[in-house]
Order: sequence, then structure tokens, then C-alpha cells
Amino acid sequence: MLEIVDLTVAYGPVVALERVSFRVAEGSVMAVLGANGAGKTTLVRTISGLVRPRSGSIRFDQKEISRLAPEAIARLGIGHVPEGRGVLAELTVEENLRLGGLWRTDRADRGTALSEAYELFRPLAERRHLPAFTLSGGERQMLSIARALSARPRVLLLDEPSLGLASLVLIQIMARIKQLVQQRQLTVVLIEQNARSALSVADDAVVLSLGRVVAHDQARRLASEEGLRHAYLGF
Amino acid sequence: MPAVVKGWRLLLTPTLSRHLGLALVAFILLLLLSSQIGAYDDYTLAAVAIFVIATAGLNLLTGVNGQLSLGHGALMAVGAYSTSLLLRGHDLPLILVLLLSLAGASLVGAVFGVAAARLRGPYLAGATLALAVGLPQIATRYSHVFGGEEGLTVPPPAAPSWLGADFPPERWMAWIAIAVALVTLVLLGNLLQSSVGRSFKAVRDHEAAAALAGINVARTQVVAFVVSSACAGLAGSLFAYWSGLTAPAGFGVALSLQLISAIVIGGLGSLSGAVWGSIVLVFVPNFTSGMASSLNLPSSVGNNLPLLIYGAVLVVAMLVVPYGIDGGLRRLLALARARWAGAATNHKGVVDWDDPAGS
Amino acid sequence: MQRFVVLTLNGLTEGSIYAAMALALVMIWRATRVVNFAQGAMAMFTTYLALFSLERGAPYWLAFVIALLCGFVLGAVVERVLVRPVESAPPLNVVILTLGLLLVLEALAPMLFGGQIRSFPSAFSIVGIRLGSLQVPFSSFDLFTLVSVLVLMALLLLLFQRTDLGLRMRAAAFNAEVSRLLGIRVGRMLTLGWALASLVGALAGLLIAPSLLLYPTYMDQVLVFGFTGAILGGLDSPPGAVIGGLSMGFALSYVGGYFGSDLETVGALVILIAVLMVRPRGLLAWRAQRVV
Ligand SMILES: Nc1ncnc2c1ncn2[C@@H]1O[C@H](COP(=O)(O)OP(=O)(O)O)[C@@H](O)[C@H]1O
Ligand SMILES: [Mg+2]
Repeated sequence: MLEIVDLTVAYGPVVALERVSFRVAEGSVMAVLGANGAGKTTLVRTISGLVRPRSGSIRFDQKEISRLAPEAIARLGIGHVPEGRGVLAELTVEENLRLGGLWRTDRADRGTALSEAYELFRPLAERRHLPAFTLSGGERQMLSIARALSARPRVLLLDEPSLGLASLVLIQIMARIKQLVQQRQLTVVLIEQNARSALSVADDAVVLSLGRVVAHDQARRLASEEGLRHAYLGF
Repeated sequence: MPAVVKGWRLLLTPTLSRHLGLALVAFILLLLLSSQIGAYDDYTLAAVAIFVIATAGLNLLTGVNGQLSLGHGALMAVGAYSTSLLLRGHDLPLILVLLLSLAGASLVGAVFGVAAARLRGPYLAGATLALAVGLPQIATRYSHVFGGEEGLTVPPPAAPSWLGADFPPERWMAWIAIAVALVTLVLLGNLLQSSVGRSFKAVRDHEAAAALAGINVARTQVVAFVVSSACAGLAGSLFAYWSGLTAPAGFGVALSLQLISAIVIGGLGSLSGAVWGSIVLVFVPNFTSGMASSLNLPSSVGNNLPLLIYGAVLVVAMLVVPYGIDGGLRRLLALARARWAGAATNHKGVVDWDDPAGS
Repeated sequence: MQRFVVLTLNGLTEGSIYAAMALALVMIWRATRVVNFAQGAMAMFTTYLALFSLERGAPYWLAFVIALLCGFVLGAVVERVLVRPVESAPPLNVVILTLGLLLVLEALAPMLFGGQIRSFPSAFSIVGIRLGSLQVPFSSFDLFTLVSVLVLMALLLLLFQRTDLGLRMRAAAFNAEVSRLLGIRVGRMLTLGWALASLVGALAGLLIAPSLLLYPTYMDQVLVFGFTGAILGGLDSPPGAVIGGLSMGFALSYVGGYFGSDLETVGALVILIAVLMVRPRGLLAWRAQRVV
């Protein structure tokens, strides 16, 4: 479904990713783990076209996407919930949500997607006509995820959704996402610093350290590897 | 202004002697050059030197301290009018007139700088632009003092008698302007290398971090405004001597915009950028008007060709050399050096655009 | 009292033009973080194009529409060809670039259309309207000026607040990166923003031309007062632009009327500094203070 081959990314002289390769199966959750500065954000930003790779390729449904513009990649069905959530604070909740699927031609389904989003994240429905800067951190995270989902993506890239969230809210959100994975064959790339909770929802995981893949396996098995856990995952 | 006092004490550093040496060599070379060229070219040379003073001060404010001023022409006007008023009916020594004009512009700059310290980016641009538009109108309004649209005349500075009776006044003007410009550059160069200069840059780069490091942001900004206004006042004073006439039309918005475009074209944040910018500012219009008049074009085309070319130069320069002439030259130099050194690294040369002394 | 009424009406008409100019500047500022100093010169140029069409026998309204359309196209071209390439350069560069464009246009206009001062016709009478025996100092053309600025602003409000396209344009202006992640073609939105803004500017140029006469620099003052108005209201706020522009109109009219027209710009300076002292980011700054 999503295949990354020998991806190398550099910011000027700083190499942020070096020959990273892995593959994400359709309808599965892939956790990307690693310490601060390991290159996780760079990875998803490269997938969605915000950062140009120096070499390597990114394939989505066998199609090379690493040279496409971010807006074109989004339109292929890759949703990205960016680090820091990317909520447009000046717009209302509803406007933020509408933006998610605005490029889609199926107008009727845009309405359906909107009401589905409100159903999925009830607190948003109550605040739909308020500017987004009135939302709490958890609500913003919900909005950001709901906005990405309202485009009915096939792949969802989540960059540290847990940051600054109460664990209860996080559990709710992850449960919803897991539901979508099962019901709609959604594919998820989940970036987390909190390895333990990420491994509990993921099917597979890669561990990045200083821009390189240091481990890549089923989530279950990674969680049980003492040495790796101590060295890279911190639990 | 304790920071300024501290700045003066810091002028006695080893770099001072290096800068002084450079300035002395430049002075001698320029005097030799000036003696070889005709009166008109001396006149042009003086104009370049005068603009160097103004643009160096502006570059300190905008390039080094990050405060955009679209109103420096108005501060030049303050210097020019001070000079013209001082010389009306009196015969004061040049150096005194220069210093008093400098003080006058510094005072206006201090007042405006205090107001400006709260403003950022386009808001500062708007306020300074309003200054550029508003101030010259005071001269028209109070014409009994400032001479109205016709302006005030200024006698040219008299060359000392030991140079001979037929020493061209244009050459004397050029010598004065060059000397003042070089002194200004030396002083600014040392100021930039001092802790005051570093605090200017720190405030530009990151206000909050500068404040955390113990820099008084507002005071630093006011100091930068005052120093920069002093330069503008000095340039304005010389400009009055140079043109022989101080009138509002000479200090319109166009002058302010020319100054800012000069430092961006020359290179933001460096004194050499100010020099390059002033050369472009004076020579491009000179060259293009010469060209236009030699081409025998219809007058509506010929009269506007210099302006067209100047505008096009601004546009193209921003597209082609975004870091100005100074930045472009340094990049070339760094590339050449990298190649010469065997090009061990394959990266483009990393250049510190902001190194003020160009060392 | 009568004087006051005259000055107020005069301020309203001129203020609406400054408001249009301020709005054009604010639209571009919000879209691309650029203060377009060439806005006035662009409007000057399109007004010359209208005059050119009139002289070739075009009816007034056709010339009017031609100028607006040319403004639209000119804005798009300037954004796409000149501004886009300096997007990532230091922010002062684009300021100098627009200043350069201003000089080019002001030099080009007399080359193409002749350098002498021209008069520009107005669609309606510029003599004060008669109400019975009373002549009000407000002409049909003043009314037309006011109405057309209001109509254009209402249309823009509808576009931005009520349509998907407007929503896309706002999103692209607020946060280009996030918008691209949402599949919005940000580049097109920014080009469209510039195009619409220059259309607004072109309208201002057409409306003020009959009273100022047409010459290459006739819009310079309008640009400065429009910019001052935009700053006064807060560069990030379109309603602020309208309020700021109108305030400039009234203020200049009163200062000119009571203290002499040669103090107009000094008055503008004093008002601007006074407001910025109290509110350094303009009157409607609260909108711009984002909680991120
Ligand atoms: N825009 C950028 N410019 C330069 N270096 C960057 C940039 N973004 C990230 N980096 C560097 O790339 C490396 C990886 O960063 P990032 O992808 O943000 O890591 P993570 O998300 O795992 O914390 C870090 O060393 C970081 O400093
Ligand atoms: Mg990260």
C-alpha cells in the first residue's frame, strides 16, 4: 500500500533520514518510534510532500509520489495530521472541518462526511460555529483528526497525537481510529514518543534513531525485546 | 544613553587601528582619484560619499538592528535644514555646522525612535513612511522660517587658501565628503564589532532571546535609531552644502525609498553593502540619463527611460541577487576559495551574510 | 456647521477611496505577507488603459470594465511572475521589488500614453445634488463612488464568508502549509487574492481620477493614505482597513478644512503615530492576536 525505499532526506548539511525503507500494509497501523530529533516528523512530512527527499522513493499503490506537490498527494487520499495539530485558529470549527474535503467533487458525500465527523467527535458539534481558537487542546486534536478524516483518506499520518493530551482523551481517540481501521481498511502511520501506548494499538512498528531504521518488526514482538526497549524506547 | 558611552569607550580596540589604516589608505587613494578627474566627476564622487554616510546609518538600523525605516530622507532633511538655518546670516565653521546638524537629527531621531520602538515590521514602515511624507510639508507650511517651496540657499564650503586660489570647489566638497564618510564608516565599523553592535544583532535575530540575555530591547532599538539618525543628519548637512539649496522637493518620499533600495541592492547589514548601494544609487541614474540623451529618443520616452531602467534594475536585482551585491560577491568569493582549496566539501559555501566588517 | 457638513461629506467620499486602497493592501498582506507599494501605480496604469479605450471610442462603462479586468490580470501576473520567485528571500526584498515595479509603471505610462496631465471623465455629474432650492455639496458622482465601493466590498464579503472558494482563499492565507495538506492549491489561491486585490485598487484609481486628474504619479498620495489607513485599522483586518481608510478620509478632510490643506499629511502623521502609540498593531488588532 505505502512503500518507502531507501529514503534519504537532508536539510542542507544536516542529514535527517538515511536510507530508510519499510512498507505499510493496507488496513494496518504502523507505529514510528524514536527519540526527539530521530527524524519521525521529517519522515511523514516527506511522505506528504512538504519536504523533498534527496534520494529514494515513496510509492503509494505502486505509484511514485515523492516528486508530487503536497496538494496532489493529499488528493490521492493521504491525510496528514501535523505535529502541533495545524488547526486554523481564525476559522470556525465547521469551516476547519469543511476544508478537509473541499477538493472532493462528490458534494453530497461531503455533507455526509461532515455529519459523521460530528458523530465521531461529539464535543465538536456543540462548538461548530465558534472560532477554533476557543477549543481546548484535546478538542483541537479531535478537530485536526476529524478534518483529515472528512476527506475520506486511505492513509492517515498522525504526528504525535498524544502530545499535550489527557490520557483518557487519547484512549478515546485511538479507539475511534482503530475502529476506522477495521471498518474501512484505513491505513495509519502513527508517530509517537510514548512507545508503550503506541505499540499497544499498532500492528507493526519501526524504530528510528538519528535518521536510521534500527528496528522494524511486529509491534507485539518489539514490545517484548528487552534490549531494544531499554536502548531506544525508554520503558 | 550609557550604551553609547560604552560604545565610545569600546572604540579603542585593536580593530580600530586596522579600520583606521584601511580608511587612511582609502582616503589617500580617493584624494588621488579626485585630483585626476574633472569638476563634474568630483561632484558625483561627493554625492556617492554623502549617500554612503546616510545608507551606512540606515543599514545599521534596518540591516543590523532589523528596524525598517522608509523615512530616512526626512531625517536627512532635518540635517539639511539645520545646516541651512545655521548658515543663514552667520559664517560658522564647517565642523561646528556638521556637529550641530548631526545633533539636531539625533534629537528628532530619538523622539521618533522612542515612538518607533513599540512598532514592528509593516507598522514601523507605515509610521516612517508617514514621517517621510509629513515632515517636508512643515517646511512649506512655515515658509517664513524654512523658505517654503523655494527653499533656503547654502553657500558652498570655501577651500582653504593654502590649496591655491583656483582650487576647484567641487574637489574641496568631494574631499570633505570623503573624509566625513570614512570617519563615519570607521566609527560604525567599530561600533558594530562592539558589544553594542552585537546587541543590535541579537535584538534583530530574536527579541525574546535577547531580552532573556539581559539586553534592554527597547533601549537598544532607540540607540540604533539615534545613531542612524545622526548619520542621516550628517549626510543631510553635507547634502545641503553639496546642492547649495535646501528645498522640500529634494527630500520627498522618493529620497527615502532610494536610500532603502540602496541598502538592499548593496547588501543588507554590512557597511560594504552601503558603499555598493550608494554607488548604484548615484551611477545608474547618471549613466542611464547620459545614455537616454545620446539616443535621440522622443522626449516622452527619453525623459522616462532612466526611471524605467532604475525600476527594472531594482526588480531584476531582487530576482537575481537576493542578498545584494555584497552578498553576491561574498558568495562568489567563498565558492572561489572552496574551489581553490581543492573543494574538499561539495556543499555550497556557507557565508555569514551579516559579518559587518566584511572580514 | 455648514462647513462641517461639507467637510464630512467630502471626507466620506475620499475615505471610501482610501478604504478601497487599504482593503487592496490588506488582502495582499493577508495572502502573501507583502505590502504592495506598487498598488497605486498599478491602479494608475489601468486607469490610463481606461482612458486609452475611451479615446479609441469605447463607451464609458466598457472602459470601466476593461480597467477592472486589466487590474485583475495585472495583479495575477505580478504575483505569479515577480512576487512568487522572491517568496523565500529576505522579507525586505519584496518591498524593494514592489518599489521597483512602481517606478517601472510610472515610467512606462508616460512613454505609452504621453506625459501631459489629462482629465478623466466621470460617469455622472460632479456638481452637487439639488434638493429643492438647496444645493448639497455631494454630487451624483460622489454617490456613485460610495455605492460602487460598498457594492464591491459586499461582494468580497460574500465571496470570502459564504463560498467554498473564499474559504479556500482564507485558509491559504492563514496557513499555506496546512492548506496544502488539505489538498488546497495554495499557489492559485494566492494568485487569485492578488488579482482580486488589484481589481479593488483599479476601482479606486478609476473613482479618484476625475477629481485628481490623470498623471503618472497621481495615485502615490492615495497609496500612502490607503496604507496609513490600513495600518491604522490593523493590516490583518479587512474591516479594519475599511474603518482605517474612512478615518483617513475624514481626518484629512477636517485637518485640510480647518488648518489648511498643506497640513494634511502632517495631520496624517500625527494621527497615525498617536493611534500606534496606543495600539501598536492598529485599531482592530485583537483579531490578529491569535491564540495558537
Ligand atoms: N526545517 C529544518 N531545518 C533544519 N533541520 C531540521 C529541520 N527540521 C528538522 N531538522 C533536523 O532534522 C532532525 C530530525 O528532526 P525531526 O524530523 O523533527 O525529528 P522528530 O520528529 O523525530 O523529533 C533533527 O536533527 C532536526 O534538528
Ligand atoms: Mg517530531
